[in-house]
Amino acid sequence: MFWRILWRLLWASRGRLALALVAVASGATVCAALVNLDLDAGDKLTREFRSLGANVVVAPVQTADTAATMDSAVMDRIGALHATEIIAAAPYLYFVAQAGEQTSPVPVIVAGAWFDQVARINSWWKVEGQWLNGRDNSSLCMVGREAARSLGLAPGSRLLLRYGGREASFTVAGVVTAGGSDDSQIFVDLAAAQNLAGLPGRVGLVQLSVRGSSAAIEDVIRRVAAALPELDVQPVRQLAAAEGQLLERIRGLLFATVALILVLTALGVLAAMTGLALERARDVGLMKALGGTVRRVMRFFLAEATGIGVVGGLIGCGAGMLLANWIGQRVFAISIAPRLVVLPLTVGLMVAVALAGALPLRLLGRVRPAEILRGE
Amino acid sequence: MASLVQVEAASKKFGSVRALDEVSFEVASGEWIAIMGPSGSGKTTLINVLGGLDRPSGGRVVVDGVEVSALGERELTRYRAEKIGFVFQQFHLVPYLSAVENVMLAQYFHSTADESEAARALVRVGLGDRLEHLPGALSGGEQQRVAVARALINQPKLILADEPTGNLDEANERIVLDLLQDLHAAGHTILVVTHSPAIGQMADRRIELAHGRLAQIVANLS
Repeated sequence: MFWRILWRLLWASRGRLALALVAVASGATVCAALVNLDLDAGDKLTREFRSLGANVVVAPVQTADTAATMDSAVMDRIGALHATEIIAAAPYLYFVAQAGEQTSPVPVIVAGAWFDQVARINSWWKVEGQWLNGRDNSSLCMVGREAARSLGLAPGSRLLLRYGGREASFTVAGVVTAGGSDDSQIFVDLAAAQNLAGLPGRVGLVQLSVRGSSAAIEDVIRRVAAALPELDVQPVRQLAAAEGQLLERIRGLLFATVALILVLTALGVLAAMTGLALERARDVGLMKALGGTVRRVMRFFLAEATGIGVVGGLIGCGAGMLLANWIGQRVFAISIAPRLVVLPLTVGLMVAVALAGALPLRLLGRVRPAEILRGE
Repeated sequence: MASLVQVEAASKKFGSVRALDEVSFEVASGEWIAIMGPSGSGKTTLINVLGGLDRPSGGRVVVDGVEVSALGERELTRYRAEKIGFVFQQFHLVPYLSAVENVMLAQYFHSTADESEAARALVRVGLGDRLEHLPGALSGGEQQRVAVARALINQPKLILADEPTGNLDEANERIVLDLLQDLHAAGHTILVVTHSPAIGQMADRRIELAHGRLAQIVANLS
């Protein structure tokens, strides 16, 4: 009987309920879209940020010896953390070598590195020639644009480097334009650099690219620092802070908008339900006169509001996924993948909003049957 | 015969207005009582107090051993569902429920709805071919017969009818009065508020009110 009466109620009030449903579905659409954006865009944007370079640096503790190095086994210790937030880890060994003729040597900064990791961290670099992307390029190098200009190098040129009585010859594979200090450096394979510098198995610093919010990055820093207590683990402050702030601002804006939409949706439902409550006061009075308890009578209206919340939430969730993808492509130039968690979240929020908006119907519980039947 | 209803100095005030003023009477089980009096004399207030729709401001009202005047809100609701059958002048059917569903609604609030039993009640009042009609598709007389079927469905101890023929034409008034007579003959206790002297004559006794006070109780010799 409950469902039979409920169906009759819904059908009899379909006009007003349709209005409430439109309000809930519209609210749900925007909420689902924004929550989906928050979940997916946040993750995608942090990945985008990671193309801007390393945001954490591991180095020997600062001492008077500026050329302090550390054992390259540090890479294994970082790998052993299995931190999925670390999307690239690049060891570097820096030293100043002599380039050019022995009679007129030119000092250059040599950076020994793993090219595959360098490529992952510095994906925005523009390279004329070939990007090196492995750990076995002992005869090839990449040269910063400024260094190439001062040494007269181009892809295919030969470059002889000397250090401490040792020398090594390289072929220039590519010329790098990075827009910073990297433009003045010579990039060679880490093992070749270690041999040339006479520092086998040593690295000067490790750059890490860590994705996630400020809190996630801080957490990774804590874990790495705990695993490497003898080393100095520091965020690249400006970059990490800017990323975190930007993400938090976007997130704050999204949540403020969602909160506003929820309030507006509740007001929309409230407007529709107020009219409905006036229409139904007589029916409620009659039901109570016939022996209907407040709880039993109100159950119809709460079920009705819950139904509106569920149906509106489901409709809005589907529409919201599409809207999220559209916004993602238009605003952030990324496609947004639908997140399943958005479905129960949106439906739950909409049921809560519909129940809040159904306050006038809940107040019908106070109707006094004698007054209603008298026509007061 | 044992008293089903005992009203002892019952009063009801609305603000400074005394709608009922120390009214006392008893009704035996199976009696048909007509409550009469001019407009504003307190007839409907008396019916509402007896039916648990209004609480008396003073005095005692006992129905079937239950002191109605002492019941809380929940108990009053239960009392209405179990002991009272209402028939109103304005019919008061739920407009979006069919005839049979209106009867089932009273069953639902009493215990559980039984469609075949509700249909039998409508057949009994001559509406076997109107079960699925909405109130808007029924005549005034038919709507009042649905209300009578609804009032009877839970076998209440007391049937309270407030001007049940007030909105009906002569033919439908006759049908509803015949129904009430049948119910009386079957042993139901009925209190009917009416302006109609003819209905007053059909009852076992007339309770006449004036300005909220009991003016007189008249037993019909027939």
